[in-house]
Amino acid sequence: MNVPPLILDVRVASSRRRPVHLWLPLFLLWPLALALGALALVFAIVADGVLLALGRRYHHHTVLLVRSLEALSEARGTVIRFSNETTAVDMTVQ
Amino acid sequence: MSEDRSRILNLLAGGKITPEEAERLLGALDARTSAAEAPAGPAIKGDPGPLVAALPKYLYVKVNASNGDNVDVRIPIALVRSGLKLTSLIPQQAMDQINDSMSQHGMSVDFSNFKPEDIDELVAALREMEVNVDAKNGDTVRVYCA
Repeated sequence: MNVPPLILDVRVASSRRRPVHLWLPLFLLWPLALALGALALVFAIVADGVLLALGRRYHHHTVLLVRSLEALSEARGTVIRFSNETTAVDMTVQ
Repeated sequence: MSEDRSRILNLLAGGKITPEEAERLLGALDARTSAAEAPAGPAIKGDPGPLVAALPKYLYVKVNASNGDNVDVRIPIALVRSGLKLTSLIPQQAMDQINDSMSQHGMSVDFSNFKPEDIDELVAALREMEVNVDAKNGDTVRVYCA
């Protein structure tokens, strides 16, 4: 698994206002997300165990959770740019 | 002739890669084979870095509207792969809702048809894909990997 996104860099330039450069430290959210993720993982494992014991066809919540985190980790390098005649917005996940 | 070399030449013959790309891949292959060779081992020996570096890493979507609006999106191919793998794990009820919502917006794609074993092949094909749309009103859309 790769390192999750650490910074969201947002730049907004407008002909009417001063340019804005936001540097959002996503890494500060990761300790909280880690705690919530660990809790969700426990619930998912228990739920999958119960569903498996009941013979239900779908019992992949744990894998779904892990794969979601994996997909989130691959988001580094995503760039979204929008511009028109007056405004330009640039968002980069680093 | 090694299997890797014949595969590159087949890709060139099939028009799937340009002569420049084939030259780069063969160069990387030569550099790899000139390194110390083990008598037995995996199919890819040595440092696969040059081969990996030659592959596109991002999917680009560029929209230039005639009214001056421009949208430029760069998505890591690894994210596309992870997203596609995720679709095979989504519960059927949720997947039905997603498919219904997509079809209501004009995109009749059944994501439940994506099988995990087909995803690598799909992503490999995506690397070679290029879509260019030039509308009558001047809008242009480009989708490609680089």
